[in-house]
Amino acid sequence: MRDRVRTWPGTVALLSGPVLWLVLFLIVPLFIVAGYSIGALSLFPTDTGPSLYDWRRFLTGSSVYMSLFWKSVQMSLVVSVIVVLLAYPVGYYLALVARRRKYVLLLLIIAPFLTSYLLRVLAWRVILGAEGVINTLLSSVGLRDEGDPVNWLIYSRFTVVLVLVYVWVPFVALPIFVTLENLEASILEAGADLGGPRWSIFWRVTLPLSLPGVGAAFVFVFIPTIGEFVTPSLVGGTSGLMYGNAISELFLKSLDWQTGSVLALFLVGVVAILMTISARFAQIKAVESP
Amino acid sequence: MGMGAHTGGPSLRLDRRDFLRAAGVMAGSGVLVACKSASSSSSTPATSGSSSSASRPPIAEEAGDLRIYEWLGYGDGSYGDDVLWAEYKDKGYPKPKFTKTFDDDAGYTKVAAGERWDIVHPCGYRFGDWVALQNADGSPVMQPWDTSLIPNFADLNQSLQAAGQFNGEQYFIVADWGFAAPMYRADMIESPEESWGILFDETYEGRISWWDSLNMFVVAGYYNGVANPWAMTDEELDAQQEFLISKVPLVRTFWVDDPTPDLVNGDVWVAYAWPNHWWAAVDYGSGKGPDVVYMNPKEGMTSWYCGFALFADTANYHHAHEYVDSWASTASAEWLINNYAYGHTNTALDLSTVNQQLVSTFSLDDPTVLEEPNSHVEVPIERRDVYEERWLEVKAAG
Amino acid sequence: MDAAASTWGRRGLATFYGLLAAFLYVPIVVLMIFSFNDSVLVAFPLSGFTTRWYRQLLENEQLLTALRSSFVIAAVSSVLAVVLGVLASYAVVRRRFVAKGAVTALLLSPLVLPYLVFGITLLILFRAVDSFLIPRVGIYFGLGTHAIVIGHAVVSLPYTILTVVPRLERLSTDVEEAARDLGASPRSSFRRVTLPLLAPAVLSAYLIAFTLSFDEYAIASFIAGDVTTYPLYLYGQVRIRIGLPQMIAISVIVLVLSLLVVVLVEVYRRRAERRLDVGLPSG
Repeated sequence: MRDRVRTWPGTVALLSGPVLWLVLFLIVPLFIVAGYSIGALSLFPTDTGPSLYDWRRFLTGSSVYMSLFWKSVQMSLVVSVIVVLLAYPVGYYLALVARRRKYVLLLLIIAPFLTSYLLRVLAWRVILGAEGVINTLLSSVGLRDEGDPVNWLIYSRFTVVLVLVYVWVPFVALPIFVTLENLEASILEAGADLGGPRWSIFWRVTLPLSLPGVGAAFVFVFIPTIGEFVTPSLVGGTSGLMYGNAISELFLKSLDWQTGSVLALFLVGVVAILMTISARFAQIKAVESP
Repeated sequence: MGMGAHTGGPSLRLDRRDFLRAAGVMAGSGVLVACKSASSSSSTPATSGSSSSASRPPIAEEAGDLRIYEWLGYGDGSYGDDVLWAEYKDKGYPKPKFTKTFDDDAGYTKVAAGERWDIVHPCGYRFGDWVALQNADGSPVMQPWDTSLIPNFADLNQSLQAAGQFNGEQYFIVADWGFAAPMYRADMIESPEESWGILFDETYEGRISWWDSLNMFVVAGYYNGVANPWAMTDEELDAQQEFLISKVPLVRTFWVDDPTPDLVNGDVWVAYAWPNHWWAAVDYGSGKGPDVVYMNPKEGMTSWYCGFALFADTANYHHAHEYVDSWASTASAEWLINNYAYGHTNTALDLSTVNQQLVSTFSLDDPTVLEEPNSHVEVPIERRDVYEERWLEVKAAG
Repeated sequence: MDAAASTWGRRGLATFYGLLAAFLYVPIVVLMIFSFNDSVLVAFPLSGFTTRWYRQLLENEQLLTALRSSFVIAAVSSVLAVVLGVLASYAVVRRRFVAKGAVTALLLSPLVLPYLVFGITLLILFRAVDSFLIPRVGIYFGLGTHAIVIGHAVVSLPYTILTVVPRLERLSTDVEEAARDLGASPRSSFRRVTLPLLAPAVLSAYLIAFTLSFDEYAIASFIAGDVTTYPLYLYGQVRIRIGLPQMIAISVIVLVLSLLVVVLVEVYRRRAERRLDVGLPSG
């Protein structure tokens, strides 16, 4: 009798709501996208039936989209690595050093997140432009001549990386902070037990233990950034065309929903595989009832 | 308009293009000249969907809740632009609900996916696509206007109205039009050659801004002397694509909404632009802004036009006609020209009420300004998807 | 001895934090400056101080309506996301079942779908439902607030799960068992023991979902129908230069308000959790 009581409410009762919700409003739409990708569904009546033509065209690289995909992956890798490298010391500082005021300080760096994303990106345009904050500062201090602003600040790959890092660091500092905060007790114990230089405590205890959380944080940035296109198109200049832009244009400008669906499904597939691999780093574990 | 004159469309193109050219040459009546009689005689007005209007409920029985898919700043009241339908408001009709957009293609996509409004305001490059839209049961999504219900229609430039006719029916009431040309900072660039080539000139490397659109192919075509840039063959497209890709390193950015901020900031010195961009850059003629010149290139400016279309399942048939009629008035024409530096198809407008700087810059008093070879009226591109993919490849080379 | 860092380490890290915080706030400060700038152009040089943008936006009917719509949508969709999220989290943490990996993947999958694509497919889905319903039953689902609520509830779900699960994991089952041993029904032990212990995490999850929905643009742009949400209005106004300063002003207001709310909620949450956790067996 105890077992039956312990399993109320039943698993099915618990899961039916969320699962049904997602099946209806996520899985079904995905099938629709799949249908478009093979031409089984189409926006306008056509004579041709379903075919894998667009899949083949994309995967064999005979169109420009595959190279755009790799370009986006590369950009996302660079951004994610930088973000994690910057967020880790912040998380470390907050969790393990600034003990008493850590929540206030954490909130302080999360707050910018509450402004509109678009406006934050536009603000960078103002800062980095030819007559923006930085260039005005440089010329007033005399480091650069008037009328000779630093050009590569805006509308370049540098800008894209800078703004994306800016947008993501607060978001990534949080899970790293949480991970390190959870480890606080273990680290103090290790310190007491091992003695020795703090550097070696960090290297032998803190870092290895925090790696799963860091890995999760990395994936947290990496995946959405592959499909990112708003920032690159706003500040990337002519190098700002990304995979996400291609999807957007295919759906909205060329109305080539077939190719657009192929690209979208491919992204979903790749990401799903990445997520599965990194699922072991996620913090969801089954808790066995004692 | 707000933002987005593209070109494109399938089937009926050939017929309409020739017809349009013929009508343009024939018109002689000019664009904004107060010559009502001349314009109304230039071509036969389209037959109205007369049978359908007879069977419709009178205006008093309509709900009047017009839903309009419209360019941002074209009547939604963003900044005083509800003057554009002031007459409609004065007659006491309920305020329309605007779904604002700055993207023609997105609207077309939504309608194709099933959304409906009462009125929509697309641009000429896709007119044919809109007419060809069908419901699941094969019935058309759009229906023609009954021009007998639009008193101001007789005053409108008929050659542009001809562009809105399909199968002898007036599917589009063409209301606004405008140019596209390079604009440049005259304080940074001294007396350049008046040519589209300024957008491809190494002298201004890193200071050039192109429009993010396949229209750059058309521009390249005119610059390189292609006979008909609106319908290029694959070989011609290859050549233009190579040309454009070779010039991409000179370009600072591809603008999507507005090249003006970059130009005013000094991030770029020359940009492909529409008249409203230039007008905003010079602060609406106040003399306060930087010295920006809107060029008339020797190869000829291109021009675009947009018009109102009516949905077949609208429940506000008469209200829709009233709305379009007020948009077609001289009052609207005056506001549009003075605030956007666009053109309005109402030829009865007295040009002395318009900012004279605009009249001279765009030769609004010249009847031949929209004729070849002075400028090139947009012709819907048949193989638009081909142009589109090639443009994406040009951008990817950046 | 402090195992985490030496004195120099502490100073170095503190400096690093300070620099990073400054970096994060530069655009915010820029925005705040321009919200008081007496010019439509958001560019240097500055043109003088004014509060007119703030005054204008109070009279801006369209903006106020958009804010209201976004608020309602965010409030409702977040409730949905949190309810479904708590149910799902409970199942994932406290239950064993077949194909747990696959179900977890399903629950987190909205994280991977591009919002643009999701918006389009929802549009198609709703129109298909309508074309089915209208001729048969005469009613229709339509687009608008309810459609956006559904879309946002889907994309917020993974975030709520990811917020509630860690807290649930840290809660030992001992307390619930103790309650049941004392005679409480499973339902009431959940209601009077687990839920209050979870409350702070649930509140955080709600806030995250709310923030996400309030600033969400891509999905809303497709299924909003006649409704204008705040992000839709914002994106539109930013594209015509005249509207920009007002948008900057409103975003400064939104920032300050949300900062206040977040601070208050977080303070409450941490205090509540500490109080609730006192006396609990560790684990």
